[in-house]
Amino acid sequence: MSTGALDLLLGMTQAMALTMSVAFITYVIMIIIPYLRYKARPTGDPAAFSWHFIVPCRDEEAVIQKTIDYLRTTFPQAHVWVIDDDSDDRTAGVVRSMRRNGGNRDENIHLVERVRPYARTGKGDALNAAYRELREFVGFMNPHRCVVVVVDADGRPSPNALEVCSAKHLFGDSRIGAVQMDVRMVNRDVPEAGARGFRRWFGMGMVRMQDLEFRTAISAIQMSRGYTGTIAMGGNGQFTRLSALDSIAGGTGSPWRGSLLEDFELGVHLLTEGWHTGYTRDAWVDQEALYSLRRFLAQRTRWGQGTMQCMRYAPRIWDSKHLTTIGAAEMMYYLLQPWMQLLGTMIYPIPFVLLGIRTWNEPAAVATWFTDGAWILFAVYGLFGLLPFLVWGPIYWWKCERKGSFFQSLLWGLGYATYIYTFYITSWRAMIRLLRGQNGWAKTRRNTEEKVRGAVVALDH
Amino acid sequence: MNKYFGRIVALLLAVVAVALVVVERSYRVLEMELSAILLPALGFGRALAIPERESLIFGIGTNYTLGLRMTPECTSVFLVIPLVLIASLMAFFRPQAIGKVLWALGIGGAVLILTNQLRMINIVYLVKTLGTERGYYWGHTFGGSMISVIGGAVALVLFVWLATRGRRAPSKPKKAVAA
Repeated sequence: MSTGALDLLLGMTQAMALTMSVAFITYVIMIIIPYLRYKARPTGDPAAFSWHFIVPCRDEEAVIQKTIDYLRTTFPQAHVWVIDDDSDDRTAGVVRSMRRNGGNRDENIHLVERVRPYARTGKGDALNAAYRELREFVGFMNPHRCVVVVVDADGRPSPNALEVCSAKHLFGDSRIGAVQMDVRMVNRDVPEAGARGFRRWFGMGMVRMQDLEFRTAISAIQMSRGYTGTIAMGGNGQFTRLSALDSIAGGTGSPWRGSLLEDFELGVHLLTEGWHTGYTRDAWVDQEALYSLRRFLAQRTRWGQGTMQCMRYAPRIWDSKHLTTIGAAEMMYYLLQPWMQLLGTMIYPIPFVLLGIRTWNEPAAVATWFTDGAWILFAVYGLFGLLPFLVWGPIYWWKCERKGSFFQSLLWGLGYATYIYTFYITSWRAMIRLLRGQNGWAKTRRNTEEKVRGAVVALDH
Repeated sequence: MNKYFGRIVALLLAVVAVALVVVERSYRVLEMELSAILLPALGFGRALAIPERESLIFGIGTNYTLGLRMTPECTSVFLVIPLVLIASLMAFFRPQAIGKVLWALGIGGAVLILTNQLRMINIVYLVKTLGTERGYYWGHTFGGSMISVIGGAVALVLFVWLATRGRRAPSKPKKAVAA
């Protein structure tokens, strides 16, 4: 390659890297502001609504009893619908036994049983099965006053969840079709059972990073989406009005679709149908974070692949008359994230590779160039690359977990900056799976599970 | 505005992006010529653009005369190209917003070009006040990077704001309210 061509390539890649970094820094500043200014808002009357928790399960014998107990005790007025996706263990038996309740039948516990070959075809299909049974159950009840809540088998919605979601600005506003609550990691202070030394330290760090991510960065993104009108739904702590589900269910009674990111997909359908979505930090759902890096990478690869699959909604998003241009642009930014990470892994190293080549050819000239001031450029760009992630450590310490020292919060921030780099790995893994047409996924194992029995939870299609 | 018009505009913008890469050397010469107009106007002595070397000699007739070459790493053209590509995508997907998008592109692009001029002015100012070595050192490294980052952020915010501003999304369908 000629020197001119090399200079051109270097100029282009540097400009691209600068644009992407500046865009990201600007974005982070814009989302931090509403996050820091957030104030709790008045709650509402949950008696105005009928509440239905849907708990999708496969082989959840170990946790389901405690979850049902918690939901029935904390929210006695609510119905609990457990979907058994043809478990190999006694999940269904546990639910039946709890429904029998020693002869004093609990009519608020429901079991939705799915059987292979129709079972284990994906979380969306499982949720749709529950939706159809629930639809039959509620009959002519006003669907605008029925709220469906998706909770994982290890999920624990906060006791104030229903009061908060009934608030005037959430389900009290008839335009709101769905509400997403904040997500917290219940095991953020609990070391992995049996783990010692480095493994114990690393596992605790992983859990802390997941808690920090959900309670700061993701929460801030959701709040900023309040301005763009594009608050997204998550897989846990997802509240949806039954009338909103009805409006997108179609002839097959399937409001949830088939991508690996069925929660985001639900949000896209609701928003393009004209519903508004809400988000709250005043209530939350506790879930288990993963200690294992391997499981974490598998989970995030699935999410990345799901986001890539959802790119097919780009025309629908841009064509929707219900979404503003800024709203459509925000959703596109989200959908482009894994693709940008792929691009980033190709673009970011180029200046360094070219610098390496130049250093090899002209070591003295490069050394002079470096000591003459180029080191400042490296320092500035390094800082700009680090700060947008580092900042969440002190914010987490200030707003969420006021324990330890400020110095520790900086370490959390540094940890988060490192943790984020895993997305470059997961985006490539997701891309490879996509190219190979591998759309099936094994269930992400809970921390207590040693191995998965059975096949994938979502089939290739 | 119909979809076909949006697609034509999107295609034209994509062609502009490619064309900017092809003519980047001429673009750099134009940037140097613009600096040669701005610097004397701001009182930094006479300046002369040398197109065949994409260079600028400034401070002619002063004790801080210096020549600078605009390399592909220093031009604003590669910062403008991403904006043109985003505008192309927006024109493709949302043809009804083409007017706003082109206006935003014009303003965002202008801010990037002016930012690069400001970077040049900053170098010249520091060379004048701190001397050639120290002035160039700080102007080209720390000062230049800060101006590029801040200018780039302003251009992006303006671009996004101007291209996307509008009223909030309408309410949900009436049938659902009545349910």
